[in-house]
Amino acid sequence: MSAPSLAPYIMKRPWLHKWVAPLAKWYGNAAGYRQLGLRADDILPEENDVVQLALKRLPPKEAYDRVFRIRRAFQCSVSHQLLPKEEWTKVEDDTPYLTNIIKEIQVEMAEREDLEAMVITKRAANDASAKSAH
Amino acid sequence: MFSRSTACRGAQRAARQAAVRPSQRRGLAAPASGSFQYQSGEANGVKYASRDYAGPTTTLALVAKAGTRYQSLPGLTEGLQHFAFRSTERRSTLRIVRESELLGAQLSAYHTRENLVLEAKFLRDDLPYYVELFGEVAASTKYLPHVYLEEVLPMIHFAHKRFLADPLDMAINSAHSLAFHRGLGNPTASTSSHPYTKYLEADTIEWYSQFAYAKPNFALVANGAEHSELSKWTSEFFNGVPDKPAEQILAGTEQTKYYGGEERIAHDKANAFVIGFPGSSSFTGKFYKPEIAVLGSLLGGESSIKWSSGFSLLGNAKASPGTKVKTTSAIYSDAGLLYTAITGNAEYVAQTAKSTVELIQKIAAGEISQELFSKAKAAAKFKELEYGQDIAAGIVYTGSGLVSNNQAYQIDEVAKAIDGVTEETVKSAAKSLLEQKASVSAVGDLHVLPFAEDLGLKV
Repeated sequence: MSAPSLAPYIMKRPWLHKWVAPLAKWYGNAAGYRQLGLRADDILPEENDVVQLALKRLPPKEAYDRVFRIRRAFQCSVSHQLLPKEEWTKVEDDTPYLTNIIKEIQVEMAEREDLEAMVITKRAANDASAKSAH
Repeated sequence: MFSRSTACRGAQRAARQAAVRPSQRRGLAAPASGSFQYQSGEANGVKYASRDYAGPTTTLALVAKAGTRYQSLPGLTEGLQHFAFRSTERRSTLRIVRESELLGAQLSAYHTRENLVLEAKFLRDDLPYYVELFGEVAASTKYLPHVYLEEVLPMIHFAHKRFLADPLDMAINSAHSLAFHRGLGNPTASTSSHPYTKYLEADTIEWYSQFAYAKPNFALVANGAEHSELSKWTSEFFNGVPDKPAEQILAGTEQTKYYGGEERIAHDKANAFVIGFPGSSSFTGKFYKPEIAVLGSLLGGESSIKWSSGFSLLGNAKASPGTKVKTTSAIYSDAGLLYTAITGNAEYVAQTAKSTVELIQKIAAGEISQELFSKAKAAAKFKELEYGQDIAAGIVYTGSGLVSNNQAYQIDEVAKAIDGVTEETVKSAAKSLLEQKASVSAVGDLHVLPFAEDLGLKV
């Protein structure tokens, strides 16, 4: 669902994190979606099975809020306006509510793939040779 | 890709253990050290019973006192049943399935009125793997909302549909609810969509699981496993299970009382008629009456021998060969229901119902030949012993006996009790049936099916 990310690499190194964080903050605000009241997870491409399934698994309240935010942003976009400043998405509200579910689904799918590709060797006979086989 | 060591961990472990202790493995030809009797014990607070007879396979079951009788909200038992063997903290659903497939095992979960049973059948050497799996299912199943919606709910819905399409099932459930009202009277499947539209959620099922899988509320029963082995693995793998339920649920725990009554349900598919009377509790319970089993087989209805209508009274008295009659002595931990279920063409069902009551009156009056009586006694004894040998039934009764009354179901003693039944006790049992209120349920063409009053029964 997502492009390769440097984030884990950076997060592991505090000095690098300290250096990049202000840049990331600036970029997040400059991207413009917060001014339309959206969250980062609202603008993930959803035209694939994984995200569709994740959307189905959203709790009803969150699914409703998501649709509301998207429709509001759509209206703003159509009328070439931004929301009033107090309605912009706050940084602390910009949480990955959907990414968590997507990751879970990806883990599930990866596990299935792995199990499909498993090479099965017959269990060694239950005698002394079993011990030496391992 | 999974390395072999993770994917077949259980298999490997089982193999290794067998290799270390080859003397504990017994080939097919060796004589059985165990007997028909269950040995019971307690390890780490978990009750277990085992019966070791020769054979390369084992049946292991976790019997929890969480059947429909004990559910505090409708549908909880079914929900819990379908959550069995789903993702746990350590393994996903898929992995449990694949690992079991690799070991060649069978997993199933079902419920009765009193018990929820998780069952696994596998090769003898895999015992540790399955004890561990059961420990995990009981302690750390994840009750996720999306699993409930995607996998559990459709199953409950199917069970509901199946129930509505089966008049016999409806009639038997209706007779139970007439006889016992709440508790044992709870239907075994959803009778309406209420349970899952109104009461059931993943959270509620999780809450109920903490009660159902608390140590005092379940027992492990194994067939074809060594007692010492089972004891060892049980004490090792059941640490995550709560020592006592966080909250005592009292629903269904009070002594069952018999009420009786009549219910008529229109159904356009087929006809079913059930006449029920207070019966006998299980052998491990307080109200065990062996004469009820003999009376049940005397009334009978189904033949156990090919090309013959059988010796039983109803087998001979039924109105047409196409009419199906069966008398069952349903036994529960503290009560029972002796019922005759009749299905078939409405007119014939009505006639057969009438002759059922007449036959019970005849038994009460003592107009039954000695020969028939001894046949019934032999059939009852055979059925009881055969039932005990049958692994599934033995497991449920033993587990339920361990949890409710702290003793295993000992089949030999049940057979002895049936030997002690005399003609006189059966006669007085039949008499007492007619004196009490019956539970009569008619499902189908209500224009034809008779009322209990017409049959001469008290309701």
